[in-house]
Formats: sequence, C-alpha cells, structure tokens
Amino acid sequence: MASTPELVVEPGAPIRERRAPSRRKKLVPYALLAPGGLWLFVFFMLPVVLMLGTSLKSGGLLSGGGFQFTWEWSNYGDALSTNAQFFRRSLSYSAVVTVLGLLLMYPLAYWIAFYGGKWKSSLLLLMLLPFFVSFVIRTVQWKFILGDNNPYFFGFLKDLGVLPQDFHILATPWAVIAGITYNYMPFTALPLYVALERIDKGLVEAAKDLYASKWAAFRKVVFPLSLPGVFAAFLLTFVPATGDYVNSDILGSAETFMIGQRIQTKFLTDLDYPAAAALSIILMIGMVILASIYARILGSEEAANVATGGV
Amino acid sequence: MSENERMVDPTRMQEILRRRLTRRGFLRGAGTGAVGISLGALLAACAEEGGGGPEGGAAVTPEDIFDGEIETGIVNFANWPLYIDKSKDAEGNRIIPSLIQFKDETGIEVNYTEDIQDNQEFFGKIQPQLAAGQDTGYDIIVITNGPQFSALVRNNWVWPLDPNRRPNFDANAAGWAKDPSYDVGNKYSMAWQSGITGIAVNMDRVNGEVKTLSDLADPNKVGKESVGMLRSDMPDFVMINLGIDPKTSGPEEWQEAADWLRYQRDQGVVRQYYTQNYTDDMTAGNVSATMAWSGDVLYYNLWLHYDGTDPELPNLQFVFPEPGPDGPGGALLWIDNMMIPAEAAHPDAAITTMDYFYRPDVATMVTEWVLYMSPVPQTQELILKDAEKALEKGWKGYANKLTLTADNEYLYPSDEFLGKTSFGREFETDEEYNQYLDIFSPIWQGE
Amino acid sequence: MKSGWVLPVYSMLMIFYLTIPVFLMILYGFNDLPGNTERQTPRFWGFTLHWFLNPFQDPQLTEAFWRSIKIAGGTVVFATPIGALLGLALGRYWFRARGSVNFVIFLAIAVPEIVLGSSLLTLFISWSQSAQLSATSPTLGWQTLLLSHVSFSIPFVAVTVRARVAGMDRSLEEAGQDLFATPVVTFFKVTLPLILPGIFAGALLAFVLSLDDFVISNFVFGSDKTFPIWVYGATKIGLPPTVNVIGTYLFLAGVVLALLTAVLQRRRV
Repeated sequence: MASTPELVVEPGAPIRERRAPSRRKKLVPYALLAPGGLWLFVFFMLPVVLMLGTSLKSGGLLSGGGFQFTWEWSNYGDALSTNAQFFRRSLSYSAVVTVLGLLLMYPLAYWIAFYGGKWKSSLLLLMLLPFFVSFVIRTVQWKFILGDNNPYFFGFLKDLGVLPQDFHILATPWAVIAGITYNYMPFTALPLYVALERIDKGLVEAAKDLYASKWAAFRKVVFPLSLPGVFAAFLLTFVPATGDYVNSDILGSAETFMIGQRIQTKFLTDLDYPAAAALSIILMIGMVILASIYARILGSEEAANVATGGV
Repeated sequence: MSENERMVDPTRMQEILRRRLTRRGFLRGAGTGAVGISLGALLAACAEEGGGGPEGGAAVTPEDIFDGEIETGIVNFANWPLYIDKSKDAEGNRIIPSLIQFKDETGIEVNYTEDIQDNQEFFGKIQPQLAAGQDTGYDIIVITNGPQFSALVRNNWVWPLDPNRRPNFDANAAGWAKDPSYDVGNKYSMAWQSGITGIAVNMDRVNGEVKTLSDLADPNKVGKESVGMLRSDMPDFVMINLGIDPKTSGPEEWQEAADWLRYQRDQGVVRQYYTQNYTDDMTAGNVSATMAWSGDVLYYNLWLHYDGTDPELPNLQFVFPEPGPDGPGGALLWIDNMMIPAEAAHPDAAITTMDYFYRPDVATMVTEWVLYMSPVPQTQELILKDAEKALEKGWKGYANKLTLTADNEYLYPSDEFLGKTSFGREFETDEEYNQYLDIFSPIWQGE
Repeated sequence: MKSGWVLPVYSMLMIFYLTIPVFLMILYGFNDLPGNTERQTPRFWGFTLHWFLNPFQDPQLTEAFWRSIKIAGGTVVFATPIGALLGLALGRYWFRARGSVNFVIFLAIAVPEIVLGSSLLTLFISWSQSAQLSATSPTLGWQTLLLSHVSFSIPFVAVTVRARVAGMDRSLEEAGQDLFATPVVTFFKVTLPLILPGIFAGALLAFVLSLDDFVISNFVFGSDKTFPIWVYGATKIGLPPTVNVIGTYLFLAGVVLALLTAVLQRRRV
C-alpha cells in the first residue's frame, strides 16, 4: 500500500511526516522474487543459454576429444534441412490432433457449462479423471487396447472376418494421433470449459427471445464469445503435442518418428550434442513465438492462468 | 585431439599435487588432466565438454586399482533384462538365487539392475560421467563386442582386470571366451553370455517358408508392415547375409547393406526397428517375422509356449538364415562382456563377483534360465545331471526342458556351426563410426 | 430448457471414452494370470486379489516407486515456498520488472518439456565438467531429479498462488494495518491464511507434476529410476499387473487429494 505522507505543519514547528515511505517497502517485491528468480535463472535461463552454446559447437564424442566452441551456425542449417520432414510431420500431427481434440471436446465442454447445473464440478472432475493416472500408464493402456490381436477388440473383429488378418493400428500414424489427442484432452477441454462457463446465459435467453433457433443462438452468440477459449485450447494442445515423443515411441514406428524423438535420439543415443541442441532451440523458438502471440493477445498473466487450468 | 590450450595455473597445480597423495586421487588427477582456465569462465566451462582430457582417461594398470581388499558396500551390477536366473521367495518376492548364494558364501551383496536395453543408449548414458572422470554408479556393466566396447577401451573408460583374481575363469572358460579377437588376453572383459542373431518366424502368420534374408523383404511371404528389424544388429546381419565380411567392410559395403535395407523398407514390410523391445511384439504375435536373439526365442519355446496349446501365443521358430538369392546367408555372433567402468567404487568386490559366475555350478544356474551360450562348457554336463535329478523326482516336463537345453546347438554349438557365424564390425576411430552411423541411422529414424 | 438427447448422450460417451483406460487399468489389476507369468496380455483370465495384496514383489519396482514419492515430496517442500513467494510478489505488488517476470514464468510453462529436459541435462553435464565448479556439481540421479522437478514446478506454483493473491480482497489487509499491525504481522495473520488454499493447490500441483513426470526425468535420472521411467522400461519387456495396482493406488490418492483441495477452496472466501 502506498503510503501518503501527511504533513502536519504548525507554524515554526519542524515538518513531520506521519508515515514515511520506507525504501525497504519498495524492495519487498524484489525480496520475494529473489529465491524464485534466482532459481529460475540458474535452472531455466542458464540451461537455455548453455544449450545455445552447445548448439554452436562441433566435434565428436567417442575419442574423448570432446566438443569445441566454434560458432558453428551451420548446425542450424543442417538441423533444419536434415530434419525438415520431422518438423513437418510433427506439425501436421499436432494440427490434426488439435482439430480433432477441439471437435471432440467442444460439445462436451459446452454441455457441462450450459447443462451441468449443480453437477458441474463433479462432471468436470470426471472429465479430468484420466489426468490422475500416470501419463505413461495411460499410453500403455492404449497400446493394449489397440493391440493387433486383442481378443476383445481387434482380435475379435479379425476372427469374425470383419478385419483383414494383417490389419493393425499400432505402429501407424493413426495410433500416434489417437494417443496424443487422448493424452491432451484435458488441456483442450479445460480452456473451452472456462470460456464457455463465463458466458452469460442471459445472452442466450435474449437470443431465444428474438426467435433465434438453438443452432442460430449457438452460432451467433455462444460460439463467437467462446473464441478466446478455443484459441487457448488450440495453443495449449498444439504446442505440447508438437514436442511429444512418448506416444510415437510406444504406439508408433519408424514411419512416425517425431521431432521430439529426434531430439531424444540425437542427445542420448547418437551423442550428437550440437545437432540435438540446435534442434531443441529451433523447436523452442517456434513454440515460444506461437505462445508469445497468444500471450500478447491475452496478457501474460491471463495466458499462464489459463495454462494451469484456472486452478 | 583437443585444440584447447592447457595452461596450468599454480593453484590448480597445488590442487593436483595434493590430490595425488591418495591413490584414487592420483588416477582422477591424471585422468582429468590439466584443464586450464583459458577464456572467460562460462565459455571455458563449456569449451571442453565430453572429454576429460585429450584422450579420455589415463591408462592404469591393475595394480593401481586392485589391492586385494574387498570393499564394503554393494556391488552395482548393470545388465540386460532377463539375463540372469530368477525365482521367487516364500513371500513371492522376486529373487536371484545365484546372487543370494553368492552373498551367503562371500558376504558381498550385489545390487543387480536391468538398466541396459541397448549398447549405444547405455553408452550414451554413462559417457558424460566417464568423460568427467566420475563414478558412473556401476561397478560391473555388460557390453556387447562392438563400437561401444572399443570406445570404452580406447578411452580408458573401463579398468583393466587383474589377471590374478580370476581363478574360476582361468580354469573353466571356454576357448571362445578366452582371448577373443576384440580383447586379447581378456585385459578388460570376461564374457557373460554369447548368442546369435537370426530370424524368429511366426509360423501362424507367414505364407510359405521364411528362411533367407530375401524372404524378409518379400511382402507375399511376410505381409505388409509386419517384419521387425533390430537397429543395432541389422547392418552387420545384412552384410553377412549378402556375403560381405563385416570385419573388413568399408563405406562401400555399408552402402550396399543400407541399400538393401532401404529396398526392404520400400517394400512396405517393416513394422518397426526395435532395440531389445522386439520380444513384446514378437510374443504378442504382432510380427510375422523379426530379427531375434537365439536365447529369447529358445526361452519362449521352452518356457512360455512349451506345449503350444495356448491359442493366444504364436508359434515361433528360430531360423538360422540360409543361402538365398541375395547371398550366402549366415548369422551374426556376438558376445556380451562384463567390464568394470572407470572410477568404479568397488573393483575388488566386482572382480570377485565376475569370477564367481565362472564356477560351473553357478554358470549352470544362470544358463538354465537364460538359455544363451554359456562361456563355461561344463554347464552342458551339469544341465544333463539336473535333468536326471528332475526325472528322479518325477518332474518329467522340467527334465525334458533341461535335456532340450543341453542338446541345443545354439547353446553348445559345434565348431562347424560357429564357422557359419561371424562377428560384427569394430571401429578404431570416431570418424569411421560416425560414417557408419550416418549411413544406417537414417533408416530406422525414418529418413 | 428442452434439450435434445444428442448432446447428453454424446457427452456421456465422451466421458466414457476418457475414462476407459482408467477402468481398464484398475480392472486388469485383478487379472488372474495363468501359471507363473507376470507378463500381461489383453486377455482377462479371471479375478484375483493377489496383485492388490502384494504389489511390491519386484525390488526394482518398489525402489522406483518410493523414489518417485520421495522426490515428489521433496519437490513440494522446495517448490512451494519459492513459488509461493514468487506468486505473492507478482500478484500483490507492482514493480518495473513485473511484465518480464510474468513473461518468463509463462515461457517456463509453455516451453516443450523435451527442451527443458535436454537443457537441464546440458546444464548438469557442463557443471560437472567445469574446472572450477565440478566439486559442487550434483550427481546424475536423485539430486538432479530433485533439482529438475523443483525447477519445472516453481512456475506452476507461482501462477496458482498469483491467481489467488490477485483475487484477494485488499481491504482486509488494510483493515489489519489500520489496527496497527506491522507488515509482518499482517502477512502472517491476514494475507497468508487468505492465500493458503492457493498455496495448497500449488503444492498439490507440484506433487502431481513431479510424480507423473517422464520426459524431463528421462534425461537426468542417471541410474535412479522413477516410477514412470520404470514403467516405460517395462513396456519393452512386459508389464506386470503390479504396475496396474500401484497405478490404481496413485490414482485414488490423487483423486482424494483433488477432492480435498476443492473442498478447501470452497470454504475460503
């Protein structure tokens, strides 16, 4: 609280201030910031800088000669050209995932927001339930469900002759897309719900009073008002989906290799740190640009608030 | 060779001298070399990443490391999955009988972890610590002969073994386990098990016979998107089957093999390029044929699918590739070796552990379960004896399995059989290996 | 409002679809696998309580599980106060750097995990190899896991607390000061209790994020596996039903905690 010094002036008396603005008070926020800021500096910003440095090195690992810093900007050019198809693939998968997720989750979010009534929180919890199961376990469950010879699903259909014997979803792009869509559904649904829930139901009533059909009311009133939520959902799904690699690893094959897997193999298997770092930086810059556009529109605070689902 | 200047400043010198007073400190000081402070702090800190000194660690002799005193604590043994005997105790907890017996006899406790899934992945994981001269946390690791093995030795990232501390090995090791071409004199390694890479065929899913390399690229026989290939083994495997000797191969031959692999990929038959996780898809029947390791298929046939009546489980057969239109056929032979990484905390206890597994009775415990080629030939007799004992107890099925184990040519191969197999390529330098990787990695990475 | 049947049915189907893997996970924890095998297949053989009663029979799995719990606990202990202070600063005060700090926090949340993981690994490796600092460098293992988990949790805690702080009624604080309470007392007696639900929510978030983390942990765990990492490794060989059981327990614990948080949040103004 800013303090307003009140001067009580009596003729001849020294000027006294009632509440002096202390310099200390101004420093309070900085003091509060210090531990967090320092930590984030060391463990977030510094690593990114180091990775930038690594991306500009060249050399090899096996003989112990190590890497030398040589301002190797060509690493970026190489990374982009060698990995163009992986970027394209990841981006296209994410696009499909996001659109699919939006289409699937919008009606659900709409229903809970408008028709949930007193069950809203419970329904929301139900919708978020999968989130409480470990991510890896969720993906592995899908691997089981979509198994080639699952006696209750594909195996059954194959025995019936409905599906050809060598039909399989696993190890195809569809399994990966299905997996990623599923895993990020809460990220898609929550912002939609938050936006839809805020809409004043009275507006819909007003539209109905003007003889609008339900569909028209939706199209002209609800949907436009929910657009910020759609935008949020889009970004919150698209960005992490692009960098995902677990789904492709467990459910996919060599044909579905995504950029996240490339980074991982380059880092941990090929031990080609400079190339891996360059790829990472490129991915990060791309996603940060997208996220920044979003933050610009909403304001960083609101953006992050939505990102955590308005907890 | 690193191009960094190696200026040694006085305080650093003092530090090094002080640390030399301890034996381990000597090694560490010598190992990390004198990394001078040349540029600004941050950039200098990153300038020499991945290399402790110009040539990795310093060369040491066994006398420097082994002093005959067994260290207290736990021996950390990292191995591949399903590579040691396994059982359950009274409460149903998973136990390893051979290690329990070891502890009873010597008091040494072994912390056995199945952390290794792939040589290159594992190498990538421990490499940073090795290069920094740090303890990897492991005392024994098991690495297949190949580029990672050579790299570890070349950089002194594994310690030499004390030849006076392995009586069981000296007495009982098979001919192929002693003085292998990649480690003459067993300076750095002792074989754990050996095996062959061949083809596992899902008899329920293939059309016709799958016996040669070309069959693995034939959609009519194996179907679309249902063949598994092993990332690490496929270059050598393909070369052998094309009639190329991997050991003398160069970039041209690699390109030939890569061309075949791309041709195979273009045929649309490949489902996935696996590391060691092919077993899951194999036993689930998701593949019609896959490159496979002999022991895994044998284990499947002897233990998982013994009577062949479970309709869920596919009928698998292990095939030693035969001559075909593409070449003379053949299989890849490899040996997994126990080694001690540099800066391990318990080298004396480690080598005692390693040698323990060369006792015939212990080796038998392992082989009966693991079903790979044991480096101790006496195990064959001992397995047959166990089969007799089982028969006496009326365990006919078990006895039969043991007999089949002892008679199996993949565990106790004849020289003629071995003659048809071949080791893979080894690498002396980075450049070669990087070239090799550049040719083959894109194939399984989807490029 | 007359509602058609399409939307509710669709929504129910969707919710069902969302929860199938959870049901299956719990269900297959009861799978009575034949013989001695521990490898799950999609076939359900029958009901048994065996796995639920003895989930900790594989020492490696047990170790990984407890390690995950401990690291998650440690993450909460460190990330919550640091993040809460950060959130308090951002939500309550105005200062010049506020916009940038908000942006950095937002970035930390938005950046793909794989970038975070790989950059942290780079940090730890460089640290251990730097001539001056290598003595202090953390070993690749639980130390780096803890540091990494705290690092990615702090922004989440900060944002959660910030939201709560921003929504707090300032007049209450002013009332405290009018009653001659010093800033410190005001903080402890007025502010803190008001934002406590937010702090608790942030702590819960940190706990869950840490427990579930795979990508970042996969880069820095050395040889100290966490539960998700163990599960991932096991998928290559065959998943035992005990994983389902432990997953079920964690799931139930998570639900209980979430309900608690919801209740707590509703009770405070």
